[in-house]
Amino acid sequence: MTAALALEGLRKSFGAGPVVDGIDLVVEPGEFVTLLGPSGCGKTTTLNLVAGFQVPDAGRIAIRGREMTGVPPHHRDIGLVFQDYALFPHRTVAENVGFGLRMRKVGRAEVEQRVGEALGLVQLAGLEGRRPGQLSGGQRQRVALARALVIRPSVLLLDEPLSNLDLKLREEMRLEISGLQRRLGITTILVTHDQGEALVMSDRVAVMRGGRISQVTDPVTLYNRPADRFIAEFIGSMNFLPCLTEGVVAAGAVGSVVVEGQAVRALAPRAIKAGTAALLAFRPEQARVASGEAGELRLRGRVVRVAYLGGRTELHLEMGGRPCVVDVPSGTVAAEAGEEVVLAGPTSACLLFPAEL
Amino acid sequence: MSGWGGLRAMVAAVYLFALGPIVITATVSFNAANQSRFPPLGFSLRWWAEALGPRWLGPLLFSVELATAASVLAVLAGFPLAYAVARRQFPGRDFLAALSLGPLALPALVTGIGLLQMLHLAGLEALFGLPALVLGHLVICLPFAVRTIGVSLLSIPGNAEQAAMSLGASPFTAFREVTLPLVKSGVFAGASFAFVQSFTDYSISLFLARPGSSPITVTILSFLEYGFAPTLAAVAVLTMIVPIVLIGAVQRFFRVGDFLYETRH
Repeated sequence: MTAALALEGLRKSFGAGPVVDGIDLVVEPGEFVTLLGPSGCGKTTTLNLVAGFQVPDAGRIAIRGREMTGVPPHHRDIGLVFQDYALFPHRTVAENVGFGLRMRKVGRAEVEQRVGEALGLVQLAGLEGRRPGQLSGGQRQRVALARALVIRPSVLLLDEPLSNLDLKLREEMRLEISGLQRRLGITTILVTHDQGEALVMSDRVAVMRGGRISQVTDPVTLYNRPADRFIAEFIGSMNFLPCLTEGVVAAGAVGSVVVEGQAVRALAPRAIKAGTAALLAFRPEQARVASGEAGELRLRGRVVRVAYLGGRTELHLEMGGRPCVVDVPSGTVAAEAGEEVVLAGPTSACLLFPAEL
Repeated sequence: MSGWGGLRAMVAAVYLFALGPIVITATVSFNAANQSRFPPLGFSLRWWAEALGPRWLGPLLFSVELATAASVLAVLAGFPLAYAVARRQFPGRDFLAALSLGPLALPALVTGIGLLQMLHLAGLEALFGLPALVLGHLVICLPFAVRTIGVSLLSIPGNAEQAAMSLGASPFTAFREVTLPLVKSGVFAGASFAFVQSFTDYSISLFLARPGSSPITVTILSFLEYGFAPTLAAVAVLTMIVPIVLIGAVQRFFRVGDFLYETRH
């Protein structure tokens, strides 16, 4: 099967240095892939290269197997939703949504029918005659989405589409957009700096850093098996405790380390040299507060603060001067500040990274 | 409510001082005697008959032609200038922006003298009259066109043109379908400000006009050397009507006032 979108050795520099520094990515038809990274990681530039607003210095882009070098944006058959929605303020909702169809010389009756369908999909039926200025932020977002979907593009590109919405609406729209995407089976690339958004919406997430993709995998693997310390820190919360390795640990192997005088076994995604400084990493909710039962991870710490969050409670601990957080269901642990506790957890929850980034 | 009373009195005073002279001038033009008396002595239309004769209508028409040429050229030159400054990054961008707005800050008299000397030095005396006037008026009209078009370009959502292109519009179609309609009121506002600026100018025209190709302002000024006759009052009213009608008409369709009081969106 031909890939819906293929990026090969994509590079782009602006003055100072490379912004996109060798991107390879293959997106299958119907797949939802997110480019996730902090600002300046090159994700938006990558999107602009795909859209054709910028020309790569090197590399190839193919949409449905068709080489895109030299193809201007208006011949790429893409749908694009911008962060600021970029609606046409002088046109009605219906005219905005129908714009792409009109450019494709679709007949008037069909335009009307498809615009109606698209507005129905985003639950805006009845607002055809409004102008963008008369809509709320969430409604504008939906118009922008309908305008991009109605042309049934080969690839739908979403550039931080939710970042201008308030939190509650943002969380609703995450589910709504990914639901819509699955129903329509439309190949989608989302650009975001919001890891929650990436995990909820994507089939696969490509974490970008310094113009490259550090790891591309499904959300569950990304969360549980981050490939390096940067990703481990960027996705969710993670505890890091300095430790010393006893011997060489091969990439993907379980190694032994010493933390605060206690031996712990953990998986190393990357190879670690013998006797070097390393970091033991585990997520706050993957450790338990133990009372003597067996477990691979056993660490002693003192409770500094108990933070009640409703359904969950965070125990802020101190371990040999290092802060560490454990997240437990409320009511399951009756520890108080100043108390000594033992942390326990399975080896599968423990990761090992070289100390340097 | 003495505070409001004071404000009302102030507003009334502003109206009185702004509109009073106009009303007086208009009234004076109906004097029966050859005296600029207010209130007028008797009633007569003879000054109006004179004002509507070729001696005055010629320069008035000349001024309309000049202002039309200057404002059309100001928009044609101002659009690309405003577009470049609003949309592109290039070395000297700030300088170009300052240069295009510069004549606003300069007394028009200075610009007029400068142009006069430049044309003399370049041996282009043949240009005096309409060509030199159009050139001079273009200089003082350009800032209005650049400014209003620039403001309306900046009020367009940043990615609207890119959005149009992603939907299948060629760059030209995107410009025609999205950019142009959105800057239309800016273009008309700029053109009407430029027109009024040219139509009411005399400090530049004073240096660049030539007998026979003299705008109405300069003609009025030279007539004043013989004293103020009721004819002049009638001519003044005629001269006022042109910009008022223009601004009124354009305002009706394009909300030009937005550029005077606030920016849109």
